[in-house]
Amino acid sequence: MKKLMVIPERCSGCRICELACAADKFHVNNPKKSAIQVMVLYPHPVIRMPIVCRQCKEPKCMENCPTDAIKVRDGIVEIDEDECISCQACVTSCPFGAIFVHRDLQFPFKCDLCEGEPKCVEACPKDAILYVPEETLGQSQRLSSVLSYAHMKEVEYREEGMDKKLRYADMSGSSASRRSQNL
Amino acid sequence: MKLKGGYHKRILDIDLKKGKSKSVDTKNAYALKYIGGRGYGARMLWDSLGSIRSPLDESNILVMASGPLTGLYIPSSGKMTFASISPATGIYADSNVGGSFGVELRQTGYDAVVIRGRAREPSYIWIDDDSVQIKSAKKYVGCVSSKVEHDMKKDLGDEKIKVAATGPAGEKLVNFACITTDWGRNAGRTGMGAIMGSKNLKAIALRGSVDLPVHDLDGMIEAGRRAFEYLRGHDLFRFWQQQGLMSVLDYVNNAGVLPTYNFRDGVFDRADSINGETMLLNYKIGDSACFSCPMACGNVCLVKEGKYAGAVIDGPEYETACMFGSNVGVDKFDAIIRANQLCDDMGIDTISTGNIIAVLIDAYEQGIIKKDDIDGMTPRWGDDEAVMKLIEKIAMRDGVGDILAGGSKVILEKWPNLKPLVSQVKGLEQSAYDARAAITMALEYATADVGAHHNRAWPIAKELEMGLDWPLEKKADLVIYHQTVRPLFDMLSVCRLPWIELGLNEEAYVGMYEAVTGTKTTLKELLERSEAVYNITRMINVKLGIRRADDMPPDPVFDRPIRTGPHAGAAVDREKFRKLLDIYYRKRGWDVETGIPLQKTLNRLGLEGIDVKNELG
Repeated sequence: MKKLMVIPERCSGCRICELACAADKFHVNNPKKSAIQVMVLYPHPVIRMPIVCRQCKEPKCMENCPTDAIKVRDGIVEIDEDECISCQACVTSCPFGAIFVHRDLQFPFKCDLCEGEPKCVEACPKDAILYVPEETLGQSQRLSSVLSYAHMKEVEYREEGMDKKLRYADMSGSSASRRSQNL
Repeated sequence: MKLKGGYHKRILDIDLKKGKSKSVDTKNAYALKYIGGRGYGARMLWDSLGSIRSPLDESNILVMASGPLTGLYIPSSGKMTFASISPATGIYADSNVGGSFGVELRQTGYDAVVIRGRAREPSYIWIDDDSVQIKSAKKYVGCVSSKVEHDMKKDLGDEKIKVAATGPAGEKLVNFACITTDWGRNAGRTGMGAIMGSKNLKAIALRGSVDLPVHDLDGMIEAGRRAFEYLRGHDLFRFWQQQGLMSVLDYVNNAGVLPTYNFRDGVFDRADSINGETMLLNYKIGDSACFSCPMACGNVCLVKEGKYAGAVIDGPEYETACMFGSNVGVDKFDAIIRANQLCDDMGIDTISTGNIIAVLIDAYEQGIIKKDDIDGMTPRWGDDEAVMKLIEKIAMRDGVGDILAGGSKVILEKWPNLKPLVSQVKGLEQSAYDARAAITMALEYATADVGAHHNRAWPIAKELEMGLDWPLEKKADLVIYHQTVRPLFDMLSVCRLPWIELGLNEEAYVGMYEAVTGTKTTLKELLERSEAVYNITRMINVKLGIRRADDMPPDPVFDRPIRTGPHAGAAVDREKFRKLLDIYYRKRGWDVETGIPLQKTLNRLGLEGIDVKNELG
């Protein structure tokens, strides 16, 4: 299962993702009809964040829908317009605000991952929206956690005439090993 | 030719005095001829000119206009224009702004809005699709523009509405007050904020929801896709995202045309401490793009330590870094950020403000102006604290700030002996490109319809690249081509930077226009319409008294050679400029003696309705 991942630090707030989504979903030029919408807050805090459905496995929107109009199919959370009464309970129960409404449209709308080829991902000029296997979510946090690990040491050496460095975690110096010695 | 898309075909006409608004339909021929943006602004101002008594009188109008390409799924489509008669220059003026205010304007279902009269009390306009209300702005009086935007979003209950506001300087009628949108995107030049102030109009808030009218959506998207692909494949694309317009500083400094110490030097020895590299290393915390722009030339910068800690802005751009950096001898990037923030909050143009402060420092350094003339201040080159104080004084019209707030014209009335120090044309302060090494830039400043601004033409790069010795005929051609193609972008209401900076072909926009409007056209035809608009703005200016004698670059361009750098010793020769101006008028089809457009020129451009003799009789 692949998921949309948003990296707010990269977002410039250009809203090309909104245009791409609305064009694909409703065949119109109207950023207000996009299932991904960029929120820009400024100056306290300074943040630009595309808001889009995370396809939750235990969706709050589904839980709160009074007519069971929200279904999960192949991991995609869908609104069944035959069952939907447009009460908009899903819109307000989504913890991320990732279900949207528009005055022209009878029903709320949300991201459906464009049949596996999300148009927002293609359109983003800042690589701020990624479409990745869910198992890789958290990978960058894991990497930075590893790299920022305290007491990293370096060994400098030469290989094929090049100066190189090897970094390693010093077992004797780490706080964990010191703690174990104190026991 | 019938337009099948691109327009809502209606303009919102708001009368603040009567408190009423109406929707006025526009004709097919009008949209075809004037296209939008500045084209609409120019035509509406020409039509209202007879009844406009003076810029800050209630009879003046303020036009906000988008264009047929605003808000579309094509590169950098977030542009719109404010147009009026400028309080700084007394002639035609427009000021362009990016961000997404123009997109929201189009989504309300109007192509443009014209604002007339003066409200009885401080007011703001709230356009929510079809509903138009004029509401009291009493609680926002005196507020800085970012607070107005912040509070209005809360008060109207929607974080995604768009707000254009004036700061305190607009209320105080500072002649170069600006209009601020999207927290720090400014319609900066020519005093549009003062026009709002004169109308008792503190802000305009918008919420629009309508689909934008596009004839052939798939064709438009395909044209857009090709353009996006081109830009994203360009070698400089990532660099542009990183540095944006700040990259210009090194280029201009290396070329020896970086305004330094009030336009005396062309090179700043400490440019390294105010350039894009310094910004990237110590201050940039994010990218900021206008609507639908992949290039994201905006940089969000924050000062993290020192006396300006906490200053945060969407900027600075090159012009600001130069005007509050090298041109006042300041080598501290944090001070530039703070100056920019003060200007944005107060709502004054960074170019005019920086230019005027440099004049004051220069005059004080030379002893022409004494301490007693300027409220006991002793401003010296590089004195960032004096710069901050002067910004506040100007914005609040406090003490000497009351004179400075009038702009160059008022300053020269008060202190005529400053003339050799002031770089301005027609009352608009020169922007941040030295014109002494490049006569084409001098011609642009002299003939730009709004005064000494680089937005109509930026031929300096080409001239320096070509070497200085190519025929004057060719130089005039270059300026006229720029003055025709660049305003075309302002009529279509898209940004010209993809074209200028990354070389996206002009022809790309022809395809977009055709898909959107469902009409066939050519670049030549579009350029002709732009030329027609340039002749309308010229006629407005002529009617307001502008003649050949006014089409002169700033005095220092002739009289004060560059002191240092690769162009040391360079200045423009008066006789050579006279010749170039003759050629320019001849090529424009304007009378060489007076600079007035010839009737046959107007006729050729489809402006038979304007009778030159009758108008000036």
